[in-house]
Amino acid sequence: MPSVIETERLTKRYGKRRGLDGLDLEVREGEVFGFLGPNGAGKTTTIRLLLDLIRPTSGSARVLGQDPRAAGRALRRRLGYLAGDFVVEGNQSAQELLTFLGNLRGGVAGQRVDRLADRLDLDLRTRIRSLSKGNRQKVGLIQAFMHEPELLILDEPSSGLDPLVQQTFLELVREARANGQTVFMSSHVLSEVEQSADRVGIVREGRMIAVEGFEQLRARAVRRVEIRFDEPVPAVAFTNLSGVTDIRVDGTVLRCLMTGRADELVKAAARYPVATILAEEPDLEELFFTLYRGEEASDAA
Amino acid sequence: MLRNVFLKTLWDMRRALLGWAIGITAVGVLYAAFYPAIRTPEYEEMMESFAPEIMEALGFTAITTPVGYLGSTTFGLLGPILIIIFGTWFGTKAVAGDEDAGKLDVLLTHPVSRWQLVAERLGSLVVAATLICIALFGALLGISGFAEFTEVGVANLLAASIHLAALGILFGGLALAVGAATASRATAVAVVAIVGIVAYFGNTMASRIPELGVLRDISPFHFYSGGSPLANGLQAADLAVLLLTSVLLVVGGGLVFNRRDVAV
Repeated sequence: MPSVIETERLTKRYGKRRGLDGLDLEVREGEVFGFLGPNGAGKTTTIRLLLDLIRPTSGSARVLGQDPRAAGRALRRRLGYLAGDFVVEGNQSAQELLTFLGNLRGGVAGQRVDRLADRLDLDLRTRIRSLSKGNRQKVGLIQAFMHEPELLILDEPSSGLDPLVQQTFLELVREARANGQTVFMSSHVLSEVEQSADRVGIVREGRMIAVEGFEQLRARAVRRVEIRFDEPVPAVAFTNLSGVTDIRVDGTVLRCLMTGRADELVKAAARYPVATILAEEPDLEELFFTLYRGEEASDAA
Repeated sequence: MLRNVFLKTLWDMRRALLGWAIGITAVGVLYAAFYPAIRTPEYEEMMESFAPEIMEALGFTAITTPVGYLGSTTFGLLGPILIIIFGTWFGTKAVAGDEDAGKLDVLLTHPVSRWQLVAERLGSLVVAATLICIALFGALLGISGFAEFTEVGVANLLAASIHLAALGILFGGLALAVGAATASRATAVAVVAIVGIVAYFGNTMASRIPELGVLRDISPFHFYSGGSPLANGLQAADLAVLLLTSVLLVVGGGLVFNRRDVAV
């Protein structure tokens, strides 16, 4: 399968500060690629390099087989881009802006814009200035998707969207994939890419530390779990469960870390009357930490 | 108006442009309307009593003739200052201001090249400054009978207005170029202020201080009013110098802009 994005030792320095440090990335045609990393890891720097907003210090990038700088306008015609904060002139209606941006692309059918606005429940007559952050982001989504680009580059796209709209957004991403479009999507939270990404790349301090299928990643994700029972439970009932560590039982409350599947823990808990179960969103930092430990261990071996 | 960056820029600024046109026209017209009041022997005597150096530095020459009066007031000091401020505002916003506000990303990730952006924004600056000066021209023409300066002539009045627009375009182009090259609004404004002040005084002081002759020969103000468009009509060569310099400045700014990173 041909690669849609390919970077080789892509490096960007801002003075002494390091933005990217030899990033190797490959995104294949037709996949949804989640680009995960904590804030400041180099996600936005990578995306700005791919879009030719900034230029690499060294290394190379190819997007749809072309050099972003040399291909310029012709390449950007085939892309859709949305940043986490979509900033445009405030004193215009969403309709006006989208017509203008469509014209820059050589014209986009009005009904496609209307259909997207309908699905996202956005009134296009509203002035951008009077839109909430979430609604402004919807305008950004429309301009990224409206021309059905071959490649969508989305930088923390669902920031500010309420959960219902996030579902619509994920639908749009799935439809784009079904349509043969490729989606490259960055995020600092696992759940944002969880439901749509085929593969995930994890970047930290300007380097790609792991690329894998989402299932493998999920298997390694560590969640903090808290179970409350109606009566005190013995700690001994929860020892030797696979994937469960750091168990602390405090009267009626059990707290532990859970890696991968929840099955054994749930079955052990089911022997007692369970009041509530709380499983936190896996912490990326923790995930990176386990990945790092893995890396170091294999380095040492 | 939504077809390209050039038209969209003008469209987005339509209210601000109307404001600038009204403001500059109002100031120019108020000034010009006072002409009958100073067309008296007493006033002439008073003006003659001032030190000629000061009069020259302020650009006041032959102030009791219509051409002298308009050339010293509307087209002498305030008109140029206001159109330069306008040009600087427009030119600074064109790249550096929008970049600072984060608005450039959306445009530049569309099929718009950086060259195209600076070129289209320069185009909208040219149209905007011209429209403002045409508004001024129309208003001056309207009051020329009542304010007793019909003898200047329609063609010369228009010529002076066009020269004024070209002056605004030059400084606006400078602001655009510096802003595009540096991404800094403050730098752009500072450069315009310094160049403007040096060029202005270089031009007006040169007759007193011969060493400043070179400064006058390259001063934009020399090409703006040196050929006295109010008396002699359009000075095609001077206009060409102003406009070509604007283009060259923007090309220079564009060269740097095309190479540098766009700020987040």
